[in-house]
Amino acid sequence: MKKTMTLLAAGALSISLLAGCGGGEGSSGEDQVKIEFFHHKREGMETIDKLIAKFEEENPNIEVEQASPPEPSTVLRTRVSKSDIPDIIGVGGDVTYSDLANAGVFTDVTKDKSLENIQPAYVQMLKDVSGLEEVFAVPYVANAVGVIYNKAIFAELGIEVPKTWDEFISVAEKVKEAGKTPFFHTYKDAWTTLPAFNALAANTQGDDFYSELNKGNILAEERYKEAAEKLLQLSEYGHKNQQGVGYNDGNTAFSNGESAMYLQGIWALPEIKKANPDIELGVFPFPATNNPDDINVISGVDLILGVAASSKHPEEAKKFVEFLLEEENAKQYIDEQNAFSAIQGITQDDPTVDDLKASFEKGSLTDFPDHYIPTGVMPEKTLQSLVINKDVDEFLTKLQADWEKVQDRK
Amino acid sequence: MKKDNVAVNNPHTSSTKSEMKTKRKISSRTIAFYMMVLPAFILFATFHTFPALQGIYYSFTNWNGISLDYDFVGFKNYINLFKDTVVKDSYIFTFKFAVMASILVNIFSLLIAVGLNAKIKGRNFFRAIYFLPNVLSVLIVGFIFNFFFTNILPDVGEKYNIEFLTTNILGNADLAWIGILLVFIWQACAFNIILYLSGLQTVPTELYEASSLDGANTWQQFWKITFPIIAPFFTINMVLSMKNSLMVFDHIVAMTGGGPGYETTSISLLIYNGGFSGGEFAYQSANAVIYFILIFVISVFQLKILQKREMDM
Repeated sequence: MKKTMTLLAAGALSISLLAGCGGGEGSSGEDQVKIEFFHHKREGMETIDKLIAKFEEENPNIEVEQASPPEPSTVLRTRVSKSDIPDIIGVGGDVTYSDLANAGVFTDVTKDKSLENIQPAYVQMLKDVSGLEEVFAVPYVANAVGVIYNKAIFAELGIEVPKTWDEFISVAEKVKEAGKTPFFHTYKDAWTTLPAFNALAANTQGDDFYSELNKGNILAEERYKEAAEKLLQLSEYGHKNQQGVGYNDGNTAFSNGESAMYLQGIWALPEIKKANPDIELGVFPFPATNNPDDINVISGVDLILGVAASSKHPEEAKKFVEFLLEEENAKQYIDEQNAFSAIQGITQDDPTVDDLKASFEKGSLTDFPDHYIPTGVMPEKTLQSLVINKDVDEFLTKLQADWEKVQDRK
Repeated sequence: MKKDNVAVNNPHTSSTKSEMKTKRKISSRTIAFYMMVLPAFILFATFHTFPALQGIYYSFTNWNGISLDYDFVGFKNYINLFKDTVVKDSYIFTFKFAVMASILVNIFSLLIAVGLNAKIKGRNFFRAIYFLPNVLSVLIVGFIFNFFFTNILPDVGEKYNIEFLTTNILGNADLAWIGILLVFIWQACAFNIILYLSGLQTVPTELYEASSLDGANTWQQFWKITFPIIAPFFTINMVLSMKNSLMVFDHIVAMTGGGPGYETTSISLLIYNGGFSGGEFAYQSANAVIYFILIFVISVFQLKILQKREMDM
């Protein structure tokens, strides 16, 4: 017995010695620092890998590790709740940002000079969505929702890009008459109802929607009626199995020319091109109303860069954020990801998104309405029921009730 | 074990030297037993009991899962739970699913077990085949069936003009739960078959011989001999499959994500989604407490009823 104890003790001691050695090595070797970049852009991992390699070359003493798990918001929330916070956090400018900002997870960057070059509209979006005066992260990438269309099919049928809602419907009607599918809906994944609904709601909910919301008046029931009806109308121009296929199936089917249009955000473009590099794509602003001059393109902050307040290496983390914001690197990111930059002066020159450019230049942009709906409401679920049950009133009452309920639980 | 207890309970009787010796020997043995239980006890307490108690504590707050501060709200979460239609629907779905699943799983696994217990060719091969689903990861099985329902079945339906197969049933509000049920039963049967098989091997063959002399047919043999003797196995299988199907989660995550709408949102999926991504940690903790009480009550109830039946037989 005694012998075993001695052996065990000796073993434990030698292990701790080893650990001691390891620690010593790490700290003596020119302050090698490891920081973690957690983000929600799984599509962008390759690009970020390249940027990290470049950064590490410039800064040999900093090692950046990127993490981008599926269900990023859930993973991040779980990690925050157990105080295991990544050094740099990249999420969307949505409720996740708002919750994290209100929980005091980020370092305040309101007066930071990295914000100076950012489009003020996007900075304002972060303030609006969190309801705070301070800004806790730098908007880096913006996305947009339009109608993705197959240029070859449009040319074949001799259709022009529609500018108004009525034209939009008549285009869909023409495609249908030609025996083709106008829209490839992917309702099995509930969230894929959101891009179209966002575009419709943002243009029809009324300008004072958010100011009323800040006063505590939830107006989903009355203001979302038009959007819900229009979404339902679009669901009529789908395909037979539209309730049974998901986002990935949709990207593949659309890239194979199975439908003329696809109601998704521009984040789907790289995926579609990956499946069929020869496809000729275009994106036009979502013609949500009959007044083309008033139509705003939905564009939100797709990726923010926030440094955690609890980071052990804030200097290095900040350095990496500044590196990403450098013009050359920001340009590389948006080029490879078909996204728009939140930084002033960096433009997206890809011909695919030419039709959206005018809206970006004019500044007729507006944020995603669902960024303002608390996550507990899960509007995508109710929307999924709407396109299946086709009952607008049921949808409106349910959404209103869910929203009020969640508000009441806080 | 009984001997130990006697010795421990009556320490005063041990007066002679030899008895003293036995006592010391026994108590050191008891300590050894306690030591064996200790690691499991510590692990269970740290990773199970303690978090469960924490959950109960949070269910009385309004914590959203990440903020630094929270307030106590008393029973507000519990009151809101009873007003929430989403919660109500998820309970209805889960119970509908669990009742159907545990009945069907037991019927099928008993049938298959009886077949696999008979003297048939390639018995071990079939036993292995039927056990296979149990060692596969639920998520992977779910994703495979998801692909099957989404891509393969509609093609088959298209080819042979079977109308109802041409659309994915997982996207159908009324039928999605049946798709999940099928996969659940397929996978859950494997384990129950094993339990039933071991039960069937406890039935003495003499009974069958005697009954066949009395002119009983196979059907009578099954109901009068086999089924009563394997009653304890029936009990444990019913309880286990009820509990497992009440906690259905992975299958749904892999196949429908709770949709369409909330049609296939089980209670555990709702707790997970609402609690972690929905920012309602405290509210869903309250839901989890109710859910725990329900499963506990149902399991006790099932055990009581079914064990009584065992005695009657």
